[in-house]
Amino acid sequence: MILKKSVYRTLKEKKFQYAGVAVLLLLAVMLYVSLSMAITTLESRNETFSKDYKQESFHFVAGEDVADEKLSVWEDEYNVTLEKREYADFQVEDSTLRVFTTTESVNIPYIAEGRAPTSDQELAISKVYAEKHQYELGDAITLDDREFEITGFVYLPDYIYMVEQMTDLLADAEKFGVAVVSGSSFSVNGQTEILGWTENGDVPDGFRESVSEETALLQFVNSEDNPRIGFVETEIEGAKGMTTTLPLFILALSIAMVLMLMKRRMEMQRKEIGTLMALGYRKKELVRHYLGYAWFIGLGGTVGGLTAGAGLSVPLSNLYANYFNLPALSMFDWDPFVLVIGFVIPLLLLILLTTFVISRTLRTEPLTLLRPKEMSNGKKSWLEKLPLLQKGGFIRRFRLRLLVRNKARSFYIFIGVMFSTVLLLFGLITFNSMDQLVETTYKEILKYDYAVHYQSLMTEETEDEQSPFTMNELGVVDEDVKITAYGMEKDNEFIQLSAEGESLQSDFSEGAIISAPLAAVLGVGEGDEINLKNSLNSDTMQLEVAAVADLYIGNNLYLPREELNGFLGFPDEAYTGTWQKQSPENSENVYMVEDKQKAIDSFESTTGATRASVAGMAVFAVLIGVIVLTLLTNLIVEENSPSISLFKVMGYHDKEVSKLVLSVYTPIVLIAYFVSIPLASLSLQQTMNTLVQETGFLMPTDVAWWMVVIGFIVILLTYWLSLGLSKRKLKNVSLQEALKKQQD
Amino acid sequence: MAIFANQVNKTYQSGEVTVQALRQASLEVPDKKIVTILGPSGSGKSTLLNVIGGIDRYDSGSIKVGDTVLDQLKDRQLTDYRRKFVGFIFQQYNLIPTLTVEENVEVGRELSQQPLHMKDTLEKVGMWDKKDKFPSQLSGGEQQRVAIARALIKNPQILLCDEPTGALDEETGKNILKLLKFVNEQYGTTVLIITHNQGIGEMAHSVIRMKSGEIVDSYENENPVHPEKVTWS
Repeated sequence: MILKKSVYRTLKEKKFQYAGVAVLLLLAVMLYVSLSMAITTLESRNETFSKDYKQESFHFVAGEDVADEKLSVWEDEYNVTLEKREYADFQVEDSTLRVFTTTESVNIPYIAEGRAPTSDQELAISKVYAEKHQYELGDAITLDDREFEITGFVYLPDYIYMVEQMTDLLADAEKFGVAVVSGSSFSVNGQTEILGWTENGDVPDGFRESVSEETALLQFVNSEDNPRIGFVETEIEGAKGMTTTLPLFILALSIAMVLMLMKRRMEMQRKEIGTLMALGYRKKELVRHYLGYAWFIGLGGTVGGLTAGAGLSVPLSNLYANYFNLPALSMFDWDPFVLVIGFVIPLLLLILLTTFVISRTLRTEPLTLLRPKEMSNGKKSWLEKLPLLQKGGFIRRFRLRLLVRNKARSFYIFIGVMFSTVLLLFGLITFNSMDQLVETTYKEILKYDYAVHYQSLMTEETEDEQSPFTMNELGVVDEDVKITAYGMEKDNEFIQLSAEGESLQSDFSEGAIISAPLAAVLGVGEGDEINLKNSLNSDTMQLEVAAVADLYIGNNLYLPREELNGFLGFPDEAYTGTWQKQSPENSENVYMVEDKQKAIDSFESTTGATRASVAGMAVFAVLIGVIVLTLLTNLIVEENSPSISLFKVMGYHDKEVSKLVLSVYTPIVLIAYFVSIPLASLSLQQTMNTLVQETGFLMPTDVAWWMVVIGFIVILLTYWLSLGLSKRKLKNVSLQEALKKQQD
Repeated sequence: MAIFANQVNKTYQSGEVTVQALRQASLEVPDKKIVTILGPSGSGKSTLLNVIGGIDRYDSGSIKVGDTVLDQLKDRQLTDYRRKFVGFIFQQYNLIPTLTVEENVEVGRELSQQPLHMKDTLEKVGMWDKKDKFPSQLSGGEQQRVAIARALIKNPQILLCDEPTGALDEETGKNILKLLKFVNEQYGTTVLIITHNQGIGEMAHSVIRMKSGEIVDSYENENPVHPEKVTWS
């Protein structure tokens, strides 16, 4: 159809408008494709790796050695595969390298490059750790004066999220890594853990009880409670929400913009449409013609988005690869269906909705289209008849009427600004949360430097610089929630539980003090009751929540030590660990040491990445804001060009005309911004609450005054930038052209 | 192609007011003739042209163009009727500004199964040398020539012209009239011209006068004058 040429030329003439909206669509598709490709890659690698390399269903640490014969008995009795694995931690420069013996049945190491260690002088280390410490294959690494040659890069199915302690929040390969040696070469005094694998991934009924009858159970961890295994799934679930929500919103913005542009185009060309209909063009031919615009935007946006998304998924997957130790077991780990969805859905939605808008205009009789618009529709809406719009000077009334007459535009600006603000504040709140989380949790509440966990129950008197505590994992009656219960000294100086700066230490007399994540998971607050369950003997205890502390990590519950000991059946003076300032001396009885500084360092080492992601979010928010606002204000100038021209003819200056026509939307921008602030906080809080059960931490989502100010400045600058761009268009409105349009 | 209208009525709403645009309008336009409909603004002449052209509907009465009775035609059938038989020429030309002269004419050509030759048509309206110009680069007269070519290239049986010279000066207007006469003679196209310019009636084979939606007078011109000689008013 020759009319196609008209589409090409209009697109060329209005390239800014159509390219802008295509970029919006491109951003939506790019985000979806890149995130989805990275996530499906992660998901596929995780599934394959955990299945093919027999990821543990659980592991446990026994108080004393369990004989191999006993393991065989349990294997037969509970239809489970059990295997012992030894490990020891070594200090390498400023980091800890955890070295494991190679297993054959459970948590089988995968050697990605090089080969598995075979002799006493060889080991394989995790690739990300090697990269951070510039180790290459063939290099030597010294562990406790013994030199090992690196023969390969290894991935362990139970160290996908490579954290040193299970309570650690963030993985940091600069501080911690894993390695494997051949079984025979492991002569150091290490820990032994027993790994278990079942076909369905569950712990067999009664198994845990059998083990605890046989030996003191120092630790028993299901794979679902193991962050090194489970966190990747949490990340996948969390990111899956992001992969659809954010792109869908941008997609909605871009489709709404296309529809507005189409409606505007059809309005502008109503006479042309009427003429074509009078000449004998069929509606479906005209629909096809006008759909050319949607096809251009749709194909440009989706193809561009797919390309950019596929490109972006590479660094994103690499980022994930640094974060999660998952090997690439096949060439194509990502789901090709992502590309199909990323292409088909936006295009289909765009074409269907545009067809609807075009068809609506084409329902009008050709004669009506051939007449000037004013003649066919000269009525005022009820809003325009409001007394408010009748009062005041001309400028005020004109501006208000413009707002009222363009309700859809006002709404679009409102939504666009809201979206940008929420995105911007999300970034700022997250950024602040990280700092606040470290500040409150690690500096104000957890005052110890080391938490030392012992292999057996201790009863001896502790030293002056130590505070004893009892730690045990408890369940909640009728809930699938695991609680880390701490029995502590009321007057200890190492844990200063507080909320909003107020000490809660005196609240112990009224019941238990719980962490913010636990309160969110259980949906309880001060004064509510919790029914605790001892998973070993099924004893229960009802406790009142005395307070919720500003402690954002872990499903923790704090009680007086005697009370917890009583519930667990321990002697009153017993404890399982100590909080202390000094570094613990090497002792056989020490089972695990939590180094608070390491946790803080780990947090701070990720600040750079957080800053980058916040900056990325801010740039994204501004970009979307600028596109949305500029497209809209541009459209407004175009739509009002006859009035603009008339104002110019009458002697109004460009600045005054701009105030009359463009700045009309300032109140909408301001209202949208201030409405978005509580919305951003609430939606982030909601997101955090839904994720808290899997992540075990809760980010504070308070909006600080400085965020409001920064957000305000950014949004205002974005708005001014858009106005600036549109003012250039306003200045270019030719008097003759605009007046001619009015005559037509 | 002959046109017959029999007691056609048409009313429409203009705000609160009901306007009777056509009252019992009956006419007969013989095949291959030029007919001019004269009358002041609001006399119903445009409405009559529009219902004959199938871009507006009438309330009662009957219209027959060639063998096609328009009374009960559905939207799609009316479109086909316009596509096959009708060429429209408007006072404001209504060209597509983003298409060149040739492309604007192509818009009409695409609709026809037996279109005229592009070069011949553009040469006949004197626009071949300007075929690559855009409407904004043309004068009003030239734009109307392109509009005529667009209507003509379809090889329509009837050409409906709504004030084709209304926006033009005398010289240009007369040139357009010459072109319409040429089309009528060369292709045997029935030409219906509505105008408030009384002089244009002098070149038509017959003249119809309208007032307040009624046909008040109609007569045949035994000796139609050459367009050059019409009295311009």
